[in-house]
Amino acid sequence: MDESKLKYLNKYTKIEGGKQAKPYVTKNLAKSLWIVKPNWTVFKLFCKTVARKPVTVLYPYEKEWIPENYRGRPGLRFDRCVSCGMCVRMCPTSCIKLIEVPDDDGKPVMRPQVNVGRCAMCGYCAEYCPVDAMTVTPEYELAEYTRYDLLYGPRRLHYEGTTPGMEVKLEVTLPSDIESGNPERRRPLFEIDRPELTDSKCIGCKKCAKVCPVSAIEMVEKGVNDKGKPILRPKIDTSKCICCSNCVDDCPKSALAIKEVL
Amino acid sequence: MMADSIVPVKEIEEKAEKMDTDKMWVIMGPQHPFSHGLWTLKVKLDGEIVTDAEPIVGYLHRGWEKETENRTYPKIIPMADRLCYAASMTYTHLYCMTVEKALGIDIPEKAKYIRIVADEVCRINSHLMWLAAVGTDLGNLTVFLWCMREREFFLDLNVKLCGARMTTNYPRIGGVRNDTTELFDRDILRTVERFEKALWDIIYLIDDSSIFVSRMKGISYITREQAANIGLTGPAMRGCGVDFDLRRDDPYDNYDKIDFEVPVLQEGDSYARYMIRVEELFQSCEIIKQAVGKIKALGKNAPYRLKVPSRVPAGTAYAKLEDPRGESMMYLVSDGTDKPYRLKVRSPIFVNVSSAKLQSVGVRIADVPAVLAQIDMCLGETDR
Repeated sequence: MDESKLKYLNKYTKIEGGKQAKPYVTKNLAKSLWIVKPNWTVFKLFCKTVARKPVTVLYPYEKEWIPENYRGRPGLRFDRCVSCGMCVRMCPTSCIKLIEVPDDDGKPVMRPQVNVGRCAMCGYCAEYCPVDAMTVTPEYELAEYTRYDLLYGPRRLHYEGTTPGMEVKLEVTLPSDIESGNPERRRPLFEIDRPELTDSKCIGCKKCAKVCPVSAIEMVEKGVNDKGKPILRPKIDTSKCICCSNCVDDCPKSALAIKEVL
Repeated sequence: MMADSIVPVKEIEEKAEKMDTDKMWVIMGPQHPFSHGLWTLKVKLDGEIVTDAEPIVGYLHRGWEKETENRTYPKIIPMADRLCYAASMTYTHLYCMTVEKALGIDIPEKAKYIRIVADEVCRINSHLMWLAAVGTDLGNLTVFLWCMREREFFLDLNVKLCGARMTTNYPRIGGVRNDTTELFDRDILRTVERFEKALWDIIYLIDDSSIFVSRMKGISYITREQAANIGLTGPAMRGCGVDFDLRRDDPYDNYDKIDFEVPVLQEGDSYARYMIRVEELFQSCEIIKQAVGKIKALGKNAPYRLKVPSRVPAGTAYAKLEDPRGESMMYLVSDGTDKPYRLKVRSPIFVNVSSAKLQSVGVRIADVPAVLAQIDMCLGETDR
């Protein structure tokens, strides 16, 4: 063991070859300057502080600088949201709920509402949002007088300063990319995961096409069955799909499953 | 009834030589300035000397392990943060390591070094928190204020790294949440260098003050054998002469590529346990400096997060890690779905607190807070 590495213990004991050679020493406090030295340390600080400007800020009027990536309450960009419900699914405290609100043209649409009183500020909603509609805002003064006031509706969630750089874009490296000698390539989390149909299980109920938020699923006729009725099967447009797995959750016969590409 | 208990004066005089005072159980906690958190210490007193002690924990039990069984794997990461507010990064790291073992994947080099940096920042945070608590327990408020001031710089580093001060939610299964942000390595090296100087001031305040040293030195001895038998881990164990540290002896996540020392002292008294923790602060600074250098050497575009499957294959996995307070372990049983079947946490303090009797028997009641401050109590992980 190199003695010089133990910065503090070497002052008080002797360590040789990884073993403590003798008991630690403390000074004979009665003889030492036991009252002078701590006081001297405090006095040094006093001298420094007298010469320096105050480091405190008048909080409600002045605020400390916070870094750009600060994780405060979630924010929402109303126009970008496709109401896929990914944030609802991923929220660990289940504080997000999809509610019906009129959009700019007056049409009712589903948008997330956040109960900030329960929010743990983990940033998962922004991280998993496939269209970067949920963001993380640096807003941290969230105290309200009633619990009802802590419900942030979709319009209130909107954050004024949301700039294009503020969404949490978290990218992953695929293990297959590293194997193929391309380790610098980054992909969004669900870029190439797509739902896959098991044809024998499908009953053609059209539920998947109804719940798809980006209308990537279209029901296509594939021949005629014994009774002469058409057989409907979902056809998934992989370029439109955002891999929100709504169709997988709503499928009554578990015919759809997300195929993960690693 | 009263008349029965009155003893004739004559009898007292006869028995005077062998008379003991009545033993008395004093219950300290769950609301008591000495108990950092909600726990109770029952001490049996003979006059002022403690003759027996019994810790009672469980006031903060919130069913953490059962809660995890209802959640998918990524959702447990923010929960693992809240196991211990001072050591959030290490618990999240441990959880991710356990799931990675179950998945059988190896995370990128850069993620390993970033995790080391995050862990050591967390260790410094936790130890400073402990030093502040020891300061107030022993009656010196200046130590508390100075430690909290230093801790603030490291919390700022957490914000720069991941955007949150304490509940960081930073490690992910398969790597870390984001790459180190711009200028993070410059800031962390500056902070560490500044801290190494500032720590000496705190040390002068404690080690040259008889208030501290006379209340810590020479009381509550634990021998090597006792420490091993009761299952002490962490700095408390190394203060008793057991030379064992998971970071060195069973290295995880590239700790074997970093050169650092494990401080060990043979005395086993309260002061030795204090010294070990202070030396660990310096060693953490050393580890951070080396790991930041390695991150720089890997380059900016190195991968830091792997994509992992959402379903964990059926089987069991087990990982352990050197927490600031001792060895923490997690054991995962998976049944092949996207939720764990069972997740068991081994918290270091739950075991360490069982040494409360060993530590406090023989000391005076006024010294009990000073002695038990060396456990570095955190109830969040103890009761889970």
